[in-house]
Amino acid sequence: MTATLAKENVIGRPIDRIDGRRKVAGAAPYPSDFDLPGQVHAALVSSTIAAGRITRIDRSKAEAAPGVLRVLTYDNAPTLTDPPQNALGSTMRRPLRDDRILHYGQHIGIVVANTRAQAVAAARLVEIEYAEEEPVLDIDDPRAAVEDNPFGMASSRGDVPAALAAADVTVDGTYTIGAEANSPMGLFTTVASWQGGRLVVHDTTQAPSFLRVALAVMFEVPEENVRVLIPFLGGGFGAGLRLWSHTVLTTLAARVLDRPVKLVLSRPQMFHSVGHRAASRQRVQLGADRDGRLTAIDHDAIAANGLGDHLPSPIVAVTPSTYACDNVATHERRAHLNIPFTGFMRAPGAIEAHFALESALDELADQTGVDPVELRLRNYAEVHPVSGKPWSSKALRDCLEVGSERFGWPGRDPAPRSTHDGDQLVGQGMASATFEFYALPCTVRLVVDRRGNATVRTAGTDIGTGTYTITAQLTAELLGIDVDQVRVVIGDTDQPPAPQSGGSGLAGALGAAIQDAASELADQLARLDGHPGESFASLLDRHGLDELEVTGYSDLAGAATHADVAPAGAFAAAFAEVGVDEDLGLIRVRRLVSVIDGGRVFNAKTARSQAIGGAVMGIGMAMLEELAYDPNTGRVANGTFGDYLVPVNRDVPDLDITFVGEPDTFNPTGSKGLGEIGIVSIAPAIANAVYHATGRRIRDLPITLDKML
Amino acid sequence: MSSATTARSTQVTVELRVNGRTYPVRLDSTTTLLDALRDELHLTGTKKGCDQGACGACTVLRDGKRIVSCLALAAQCDGSEITTIEGLAEDGHPHPMQEAFVRHDALQCGYCTTGQVMSAVALLREGRTGSDDEIREFMSGNLCRCAAYPNIVAAIREVADS
Ligand code: FES
Ligand code: FES
Repeated sequence: MTATLAKENVIGRPIDRIDGRRKVAGAAPYPSDFDLPGQVHAALVSSTIAAGRITRIDRSKAEAAPGVLRVLTYDNAPTLTDPPQNALGSTMRRPLRDDRILHYGQHIGIVVANTRAQAVAAARLVEIEYAEEEPVLDIDDPRAAVEDNPFGMASSRGDVPAALAAADVTVDGTYTIGAEANSPMGLFTTVASWQGGRLVVHDTTQAPSFLRVALAVMFEVPEENVRVLIPFLGGGFGAGLRLWSHTVLTTLAARVLDRPVKLVLSRPQMFHSVGHRAASRQRVQLGADRDGRLTAIDHDAIAANGLGDHLPSPIVAVTPSTYACDNVATHERRAHLNIPFTGFMRAPGAIEAHFALESALDELADQTGVDPVELRLRNYAEVHPVSGKPWSSKALRDCLEVGSERFGWPGRDPAPRSTHDGDQLVGQGMASATFEFYALPCTVRLVVDRRGNATVRTAGTDIGTGTYTITAQLTAELLGIDVDQVRVVIGDTDQPPAPQSGGSGLAGALGAAIQDAASELADQLARLDGHPGESFASLLDRHGLDELEVTGYSDLAGAATHADVAPAGAFAAAFAEVGVDEDLGLIRVRRLVSVIDGGRVFNAKTARSQAIGGAVMGIGMAMLEELAYDPNTGRVANGTFGDYLVPVNRDVPDLDITFVGEPDTFNPTGSKGLGEIGIVSIAPAIANAVYHATGRRIRDLPITLDKML
Repeated sequence: MSSATTARSTQVTVELRVNGRTYPVRLDSTTTLLDALRDELHLTGTKKGCDQGACGACTVLRDGKRIVSCLALAAQCDGSEITTIEGLAEDGHPHPMQEAFVRHDALQCGYCTTGQVMSAVALLREGRTGSDDEIREFMSGNLCRCAAYPNIVAAIREVADS
């Protein structure tokens, strides 16, 4: 029997998030709030150069400092096994492997002491001498090792060179984006404790199931002997999707000392220890006919990667799926540099690609005189452009039309510099977004007891997106009980394995697994001969049972391979209005309209918050954020909140958020994931608005003052 | 304990008055109020986001005024009345600002939230809630990377108007 979501009396409703009360009371425990009996504290020793070798280490002063229990460096630490590959790409280089320094801030030692202050003080006493080399820091540095197509994302359909040569109109633009730091507010923390051969670790991770596997491999213990706990995260935006060296070092220190060890990264350390959005450069060439119909897209991307690291940030992956165009070619390269390891940051790849593509489309609109909204509609991909299959759902047309109307787009004078407000130039720009379907297998356990209460258990975590809440809503809806009768136990790898909170894939996979469990439960109830409308309580009572337990499983990506539709991700359109003071070079986003097709929305309130969060982070990307490296030393030059600017309350413009579309026909719950789509079209919409205001096409993010003068 | 300190530091005894209770604590003179609250008093509702006075996650009230507790030394707070998020509820009832934050979904990951709430409570007392713009301006010392900002403004507006 298939449990269905037809009633929609719980799902979709804007109920308050169920963990909200704990959070506003300060009672939600984040990793840094955990203290274990007998716990001692760790601090990291980080490299002060970006390239070279360690020639001498003297631990003696640190070891003699008050309260110090142990100092571990590469030359006295036990050797670990290399971490495994995972679904998110290859994983990091093992810390303390040898004397090589690959980037500034590399963790080259860990000091453990009785108190945090003692550990921090002693970490400064570890003496390191280096044989320094000149770091390679720029994508264009000829010394940089460049890999061509390392992740197989290059693709080609049709004949792009011929189509470009034959095109009525061409656009050729190069777009650069600075490195960005995820900068979640929560300081990443590890509290590791070994009890016999069993490891329990509180760790700031978005991927508890993956972390469990990785630590089991590295420390050579069975997976079931590793428990990762992360009930509340403190934000991640992708920073928690990799295994990081501080986690490994803290776990190692706990094993060596056989005591619980706690490490909290400092804010400056956050800027070089938990990844960042890679700096990138893209070239987009478009060919089109006079009416703006695309005949060719050539998209080339190069992104920075850490030396000794291999991480996909799949910039060109989405390109072939965006527009109906017969000739599309993509190329991707990685330049390996002496920079801290990159990571994933909200909508990795997709956001970079859309900045380039949607800016180029705006240039095409300008050249052909076709309105930018109309241009997107003319090139609308009615079926999936790669597979040719119908989309499982696609309401991008609604996003464009609803957005245009809400924004008041029709009637806009397309001429740059045509609109003024006082001494400001006003510009309006738009962009659309296509997000790729993504899912990994997910398992849940569902228990219903005699009082009719349900408990849902899975290892996945809630990074602030609302996983606790939508899990309760889905379960309540499917079981016909109230939300407050559902207990949600997540963020614990002693529960069934779940995908990471990343790629906008958890809600869909988890929802489908819950639905599978509810269907299984319905089968069991049918076997128990339940009367129509009979409550769980009465049924269990009649059979003298305390509870019923079922397992639910989903593998949407597996199912996608033989589906007769093309599973869709979310779609969106954004419309931005900026005001530019040309004398001062100041730009302000005055208003933003964001329209999103995320399939079925599980909770209108938390969904809206995701869209707001994406829009504001998109403003940060467009206007403020760039991680700067000292060009000579490779040091992170702006690794504090005073120097690396993220949007503050005052930076938020008038925001208008709308959801459109129907439940997706491929995902059994109809959802398409909402964590990332809201950011994807923001930066290009703003850049296009800046062009409309000023006639200046800025192809380099962030659009800071110096680029306007 | 005295030997277990670095040469520059000294142990001091401080009477911290927090949420109406008095806690005599002995700590290093350089200990911040934030670390004292979290590590000595185990009041972990107050969060550390930067330890540099730049994010507002550690906001508490000192004699009714908001401060960032990472920039205050615990020893200097001897004799002050400190209020943290744990002291906001009355008779087990959450403060109206806490309720409004939940209703308006003025939080996502929740890490910045306790600092936002403390800042918002102080903002009401400062009389800085005249317009949404004023609220935005005077809440701009509290970073929220999840960007719950518009909902934070809505929550504060509702409490200010009631
Ligand atoms: S922790 Fe105090 S302001 Fe950031
Ligand atoms: S709610 Fe996550 S930082 Fe504010």
